[in-house]
Amino acid sequence: MKTLKLEFYKIKRRKVWLTMFAMLLVQLLWGLWAFNNPKEWELESGWLSLLYSLSMLDGIMVPTMMSVLASRLADIEHKGNTYKQLETLRSAGSLYHAKAVCGCIIIAAMFAVQFAFFITLGYHLGYAGNPDVKYYLLSYVLKIASNISLFLLQLALSMLFANQMVPLVAGLGGSMAALLLMFVTNYSFLPWGGNLSAALVMSDWDETTRISTYYYRTFTSAETAAVIAIFIWITAFYVGGRIIFTHREA
Amino acid sequence: MTTQNLIETNNLTKQYGSVRCVNSLHMQVPQGAVYGFLGPNGAGKSTTLKMILGLARPTAGSITLFGKPVNDKNRIGLLADTGSLIESPSYYGHLTGEENLHILQTLKGCPKEDIDEVLRIVRLNEARKKKVGHYSLGMKQRLGLAAALLGFPKLLILDEPTNGLDPAGIQEMRALICSLPSDYGITVVVSSHLLSEIDQMADHVGIIRKGELVYQDTLEALHSHAKQQIALRTDQPASVISLLHRDGIEVGKEDDYLLIPMIEDDYIAHLCRQLIEQNIALYRVEKREKSLEDIFLSLTGKESSL
Repeated sequence: MKTLKLEFYKIKRRKVWLTMFAMLLVQLLWGLWAFNNPKEWELESGWLSLLYSLSMLDGIMVPTMMSVLASRLADIEHKGNTYKQLETLRSAGSLYHAKAVCGCIIIAAMFAVQFAFFITLGYHLGYAGNPDVKYYLLSYVLKIASNISLFLLQLALSMLFANQMVPLVAGLGGSMAALLLMFVTNYSFLPWGGNLSAALVMSDWDETTRISTYYYRTFTSAETAAVIAIFIWITAFYVGGRIIFTHREA
Repeated sequence: MTTQNLIETNNLTKQYGSVRCVNSLHMQVPQGAVYGFLGPNGAGKSTTLKMILGLARPTAGSITLFGKPVNDKNRIGLLADTGSLIESPSYYGHLTGEENLHILQTLKGCPKEDIDEVLRIVRLNEARKKKVGHYSLGMKQRLGLAAALLGFPKLLILDEPTNGLDPAGIQEMRALICSLPSDYGITVVVSSHLLSEIDQMADHVGIIRKGELVYQDTLEALHSHAKQQIALRTDQPASVISLLHRDGIEVGKEDDYLLIPMIEDDYIAHLCRQLIEQNIALYRVEKREKSLEDIFLSLTGKESSL
């Protein structure tokens, strides 16, 4: 707990929160612009379309943010050569764990703010009825999970490579992959495809009426496996990253 | 009463690929000592210290700290009473000196008052609110020492602590290190590639060369090796040797010279008279002094840098 508290203390003045919320701000501005003056049929399916849009938006933007977050948390240690001091006071494993938990808390907080804002926006725009609590909660949990899996992958890279260009390039490459995946599939077993696999709402675009119909997704067995894969990635990236970090020499 | 060794290594070895950086090292650091760990650059000093601190895994051998064999389970517990500064100081550049120390003070679980005390000792009180990224190299080095001193551990391991310091800073650092055993009861291991530095700080010395400990004893004992000798050059060394042996004097040879221990002037005068009487030509009578540098070089190899 002490080590975790210190992780937050260490990122003082590093503008980690600001970086994360800057991305949210972009999403919020986009939301204000895209959802403004909704038509009546849009109000009817507003809560569904909101979940769908957030999944798409996060699929594009968040993988990069996860690499930035992991890099910001890890590079303070590389810059100041601090591992060789910290590892005389705490085990490498507990230092790794504290960093991972710190990042997870930031991610959970970031998406809580995101959901809170967009739900408020939905009410403000007059969406019909209320958001389906079960789906919104599940969506929140899956969103956190899919992005934590990505964050843990990036954290492992950022902790191991002093040159942060390596994890950042990997993150950008992954983001590109995630973006391309969205054109061809509804799910993916790749860690960058988590936001897509975990989307609970899908849409059908009618070319003649130019209206999108939103519906809750019925998961096929392959799509369910892709969601399960998110949790397997979380375990694999955390355990793998921790083992490699613990076995390296400071 | 026997003095406990705070550090003991037994057969400590570290190999990277086919390169053996540290080879069967038997290091013994007595309690209350300032142990100078001396060796040329690349001799294996930092690797040894890293192994003692658990930052590098020994390929073979064992380490005992405070009388207890170190293993993965008890390493952190044993190191709780240890402070260290390895290679370069560790710091968070975006935090102030005080904030940096707060992190380590929390991890060490020592009183907050220690921060003020160590900042006073290293004379960084005025810069405590300044971001460490804006510190000079010397200030960072002093902050590193302050961090190592937090909690006033029983053992302090300092790897080349005077790196980056100006002459006044070096002098200050030396004085501080020398005072630690008497003022705070801290045993210090200080590594350096500079003999003069160790000569001024340490009371025990270990000399490492190509990963092997080639000398370990008190500095006083090392100084006793720095003996004075008389060198003679004559045209009949064999006759002179038998003459000296008859008087019970040991003779060594070096190039064209005969080396005898430092003896009284009267005997030298007597010897010279004898040689002239026996028609032996005496070309040179010289006083030779083997300096600490000579001893160090003969132990570490002349090809190594100082």
